Amino acid sequence: MGEIELNIGPVHPATHGVLRLKARVEKDTVLGGDVEIGYLHRAMEKIAEQRLFNSFFPNVDKLEYVSALNWEILYASVLEKALGIDIPPRAKYIRVILAEIQRIMSHLIFIGAFGQDLGNITVFTWALRERELLMDIVEKISGGRLAPMYLRVGGTEYDLPEGFDSMILPVLDRLEEKVNKDYKAVTYENSLFKMRTKGVGVLTRDTVKKYGITGPNMRASGIERDLRRSEPYFVYDSLDFDIPVEDAGDSYARFMVRIREIQESIKILRQAVRALPKGNYINKQPWMFKIPPTEAFVRQECPRGEGAMFLVTDGGMKAYRLKIRSPSFYTVQAMPEIIKGARVADLFTIIASLDPVMGEVDR
Amino acid sequence: MIINFFYTIVREFFSVRVSILLSVIILFIIALILTVAAPLILGWVDRKFAARMQSRYGPMYVGKFGLLQNVADFIKLLGKDVLSNAYVDGLAFNIAPLLSSAFAVAMISIIPLGSASLEIINLPYNLLFIYIFMALSPLLVMLGGWGENNKFALLGAFRGTAQMITYELSVLVVFMSIAFVSGSFDISAIVLSQSMVWNAVYFPVLFLVFIIGSLAVIERAPFDMPESSQELQAGWRIEYSGLRYGLLIVGDYVKLLVISMLAVYLFLGGWNGPLLPPLAWFWIKTAIVILVLMSFRWSLNRPRIDQLLDIGWKWLLPLGVLNLVAVMVLWA
Repeated sequence: MGEIELNIGPVHPATHGVLRLKARVEKDTVLGGDVEIGYLHRAMEKIAEQRLFNSFFPNVDKLEYVSALNWEILYASVLEKALGIDIPPRAKYIRVILAEIQRIMSHLIFIGAFGQDLGNITVFTWALRERELLMDIVEKISGGRLAPMYLRVGGTEYDLPEGFDSMILPVLDRLEEKVNKDYKAVTYENSLFKMRTKGVGVLTRDTVKKYGITGPNMRASGIERDLRRSEPYFVYDSLDFDIPVEDAGDSYARFMVRIREIQESIKILRQAVRALPKGNYINKQPWMFKIPPTEAFVRQECPRGEGAMFLVTDGGMKAYRLKIRSPSFYTVQAMPEIIKGARVADLFTIIASLDPVMGEVDR
Repeated sequence: MIINFFYTIVREFFSVRVSILLSVIILFIIALILTVAAPLILGWVDRKFAARMQSRYGPMYVGKFGLLQNVADFIKLLGKDVLSNAYVDGLAFNIAPLLSSAFAVAMISIIPLGSASLEIINLPYNLLFIYIFMALSPLLVMLGGWGENNKFALLGAFRGTAQMITYELSVLVVFMSIAFVSGSFDISAIVLSQSMVWNAVYFPVLFLVFIIGSLAVIERAPFDMPESSQELQAGWRIEYSGLRYGLLIVGDYVKLLVISMLAVYLFLGGWNGPLLPPLAWFWIKTAIVILVLMSFRWSLNRPRIDQLLDIGWKWLLPLGVLNLVAVMVLWA
């Protein structure tokens, strides 16, 4: 059996959406491959130039459908920076709470999808079961589930519901117990799981720097960098949390970083809920507004890495240009380098461990 | 003997030759019904058990507790169009599922169904015959995978063949050890030899080797690398649909049943047990073994094929052979 070209995707159960991978395979070894993206391209940046500033919020939700709230917060922040307005402290805390809830939800999806790609469907259903608890909370806050459309310029659409802390604290306890016990048993302390993930798909520090990979994938390669710590926005500087870092750079390290980030997010959520101040939750702006000619750049720590938006306005009611920097895009570019020399079976777990979301890659 | 039972009934109405023919036909129909019943019942147990582990409900709407869900699915498979693409090698493609289900019927016919007299075909060396039918399965995988003319199928078929050949050796070594101890390849004799102490007590290592090896031989998860639905999208079965797929599934579940029964016969004392009738003991033990095997499927992820082959050649086979040598030295 000589060298064959194996076409994986865009419709393949293990490619997390519509990633297409053309891998050259000999026997059980991957010689190399090319990544093709663009199957989910919706011209989001162009749409942003056609719509009112507020009317683009629903599209931001669909940008990265696994962590919609993080991107909504990012978009709201860039508009506020361009407008030059400040938001009330309660809104800042609400945004931190939302961002961390969404981060946990996104990492749970990662855990589930990764477990499933390793052949253990139980992990997937378990992760979705815990995600559902948080999903219910998001639903109670915003009325939406996958695409909440909750953020507004200057704050949020509504205040948090009454009795919010009694709603979320039991969920956090349960989540912590599940992550520390059940997930431990079937995933990160399981020897079969370790066999499949340790030393697989190693991402070196050089590769990380070469391609501009950020987020958990970078921190799994031993680079300690988190915008929540290095450039604190909202109220992250007043909260106590650790930045999980692993040195190995393999699939197992990437998994462990995300597991520990869930634990840190739980810590952040507990503090933020306790410290949540009373008062106004929105610095109300009109629905239609103009932004004077200016440029604004905001970057924040999204679940998959550093998300950034660069907004250029020309004084009208629509953006002149909105550039979106999506972290998964850079991760996907590094894929051909990582999969070189891997086994065919590992090809799919490497893709899963990098956790790309194609809606964000293609935009 | 079931055949004698039917023969005496039929003999009262017909001549000798006709009654022999008739009783053989009746036996064949019984074997067929049992073969089809295995996936219907075990499939339901599998789905319901998996659902419980994953905090889902599982099948609920067809019949009480969704008991008839698999019947409905099977009928759906029968009603589907018999599809194949233009590139398949017709003979190899079609013969693999047929042989798979034919072997399933054969295994069900040979193995005793819970007591010494309850076997459809009475063979003195039934353990060896069952092994032969299991040992033929790599051939089927290769036939099917090659006939489909698909890259994913070919990858899956190579994996499957390598895996089965590796682990069949371990299973054969286990069979040899047990046969050596009990002095026979006949399952009834093996059960009889454990009337005092179960073999699992004497040979825990062999029991482990047998469970792991047989799971790999029947491609049951977590050792379902040849199919690995997430990577190879179904592996060597990628082109199979409808009736052909149904036949493959029948073969799968029958193999699971046969493996569980063999575990009980060879290691857990067969139908021996106090108080309850032997038949009840046997099926209780078999049910427990089946549930344990199923729980492996839903709680472990699959290893990589090269890791699996490593385990097979470097650990299971040497362990089995060492055990065989030890058994020979001690018993001789």
